[in-house]
Amino acid sequence: MRLLIVEDELKTGDYLKQGFIEAGFNPTLCRNGLDGHHLAMTEDFDLIILDVMLPDVDGLRIVKALRQAARHTPVLLLSALDTVDDRVRGLELGADDYLVKPFAFNELLARARTLLRRGQLAPQSDRLQAADLVLEVAKRRASRAGKKLNLTPKEFALLELLLRRAGEVLPRTLIASQVWDMNFDSDTNVIDVAVRRLRSKVDDDHALKLIHTVRGMGYKLEVPDDDAC
Amino acid sequence: MTTPAEQQTSTPTRPLSMATRVLLFVALAVLLCAALLATMLQNSIEAHFSEQDAGELQAVAHSVLHTLQDPTLGPQQHHASLHQVLTGHHQTYYLVLDVNEKPALSADGADLTPLFNLTRAVEQITPADLVSWQQAEHTYRGAILQGPNGIRIAVAMEMEFHLHYLHLLRWTLWLTIAGAVALILLAAWFGVRQGLLPLRRLSSDIRQISAENLHLRLEPSQVPVELAELVQSFNQMIENLQQGFARLSEFSADIAHELRTPLSNLITQTQVSLSKERTLDEYRELLYSNLEEQERLARMVSDMLWLAKTEHGLHKLQLEPVALASLCQQLFEFFEVIADEKNVQLHYEGPALTINADKLMLQRALSNLLSNAIRHAAASSTVQIKVLPSIAHVEIRVINQGLIIAAEHLPRLFERFYRADPSRQRHSEGAGLGLAMVKSIVELHGAQISACSVLKNGLEPNQAQTEFVLHWPQ
Repeated sequence: MRLLIVEDELKTGDYLKQGFIEAGFNPTLCRNGLDGHHLAMTEDFDLIILDVMLPDVDGLRIVKALRQAARHTPVLLLSALDTVDDRVRGLELGADDYLVKPFAFNELLARARTLLRRGQLAPQSDRLQAADLVLEVAKRRASRAGKKLNLTPKEFALLELLLRRAGEVLPRTLIASQVWDMNFDSDTNVIDVAVRRLRSKVDDDHALKLIHTVRGMGYKLEVPDDDAC
Repeated sequence: MTTPAEQQTSTPTRPLSMATRVLLFVALAVLLCAALLATMLQNSIEAHFSEQDAGELQAVAHSVLHTLQDPTLGPQQHHASLHQVLTGHHQTYYLVLDVNEKPALSADGADLTPLFNLTRAVEQITPADLVSWQQAEHTYRGAILQGPNGIRIAVAMEMEFHLHYLHLLRWTLWLTIAGAVALILLAAWFGVRQGLLPLRRLSSDIRQISAENLHLRLEPSQVPVELAELVQSFNQMIENLQQGFARLSEFSADIAHELRTPLSNLITQTQVSLSKERTLDEYRELLYSNLEEQERLARMVSDMLWLAKTEHGLHKLQLEPVALASLCQQLFEFFEVIADEKNVQLHYEGPALTINADKLMLQRALSNLLSNAIRHAAASSTVQIKVLPSIAHVEIRVINQGLIIAAEHLPRLFERFYRADPSRQRHSEGAGLGLAMVKSIVELHGAQISACSVLKNGLEPNQAQTEFVLHWPQ
């Protein structure tokens, strides 16, 4: 996955690059708007991550130029500005997502993956599986090792999210937003309790644990020692 | 900051000074009145003169007629007799024309023939019949009386005397008016100056007040009654400023305190860990622990930023009708799991109702209230949201049962970082900003929030019912 990161702040740029390399991407880091603009216009990337506030050419202008040139590479904007107007302006110009600084890296990663998946238009499969865990989405049925799991609707939605994005660390805010439609950073431990309960139903009776806590970051569903993921 | 150039362009039309405006109005009014008065006076005097002249001329004309008709007098005696008639009348002249329009008799000194071209003969001389004309550098005024047998008698008098008087009168009048206007303007200017004196004194008093002595107030009883209201508003403004300053410094102290502890933990922990070689697992543990603390700090900072933005009106509300029941249902679904952990029931009571609100903000506010209510609810109790509509308001109550909150804490619950129970200073959930956020959301919507906590019959001993009540404008 080729990634263009345009970020003028040294430390942020470095850690973004390192983070994406380690997550299996192939990022190109560009430290000013002019070069970023040139690269975005001339080379093919799968995703562009743009800082809005650049000293020379600002990120919004790059998005605008891209879209005017009919280049549809997904763009994710990073900005310290957090008002509805700022977001709306960015999105109206043709950006695909908007993340406010400071952000957690795993949140950026999750959103980047979402944008990339959107590009692929993978059909949402009805049957999700990880090891012996099987989810039949349309029938709202979940089973582990052939044994039916008794899940509440929200637990089912949570498990579906974890399965659909198996292998990714899902931050708590993303889970709250996707499963409960709670679109703000809540300071409760609802997600932790919900995941714990789900885990007790899914993993407790089995030696192979599927739902994992990634400390300080979130949760992921992963089949251990499975390199195919 | 504006530069002098900007100030010049931005204030091209500074209003006239108050003194100038008052003086202009006074001058205009006085001038109008005086002019009116002077004109009336002149007219009346002129009318009086005309009347007097008309009466005199009428008398003279009749005397002339009388003399002419006196059968005892011959034509030669007429002249002498008429001379006598005129002796009492200063500079009065006559001319008698007979039926054939021939001058029959006339007084010496002035030729009145032009009068016959100017007017017609009348039976009775009234002020309206008088005409004036100029002849040989003299101004005359006269009329013609129709006598019997076709004779006409022209009578006239020289007007120089009147004119001179009127001229003098006009001058005197206008000089007096000018003097009076000047005097009145001077008095008005002085009055305005005196009137503005309390303002100047007030302004010098206000100049004494600065950030260091915001406790100073102006004394409303020591200014004229017109300024009392201004002084009160000003005092109110200083009061607000003082409170704002106090809150700000309190807030800074709070932030310093709230941030110092976790920061010093982070630093100490990191320093200790780095003081000697550790295993990989220990390093990992350190990083995780740091990460958790840092996330807490980041959340606190972003919450504080959010609050600051709200208080500065930087959040634009996107109002829409929000169905309360379904919003609460959604929140219940979210909090269900933690309520379950404590065996707490969540219950909604109220009619199907929509209120005007920014949905995300309302969700956030109610979520904070609910999370707070569940956190402090007694095990196996019920947390309720009750919606009670009234005419002007919708009342939304979030009710739980738990330990009583002492009355002195209630109004301060909504302050940032305020915790009713000092022993639970930190490491209880949240940064102590949740209720402050609720309050600012509520106030942003023009709504109000209050809290009460009372012991109630029918509850477990030592259990109180705590209610957070939102008054949402309908």
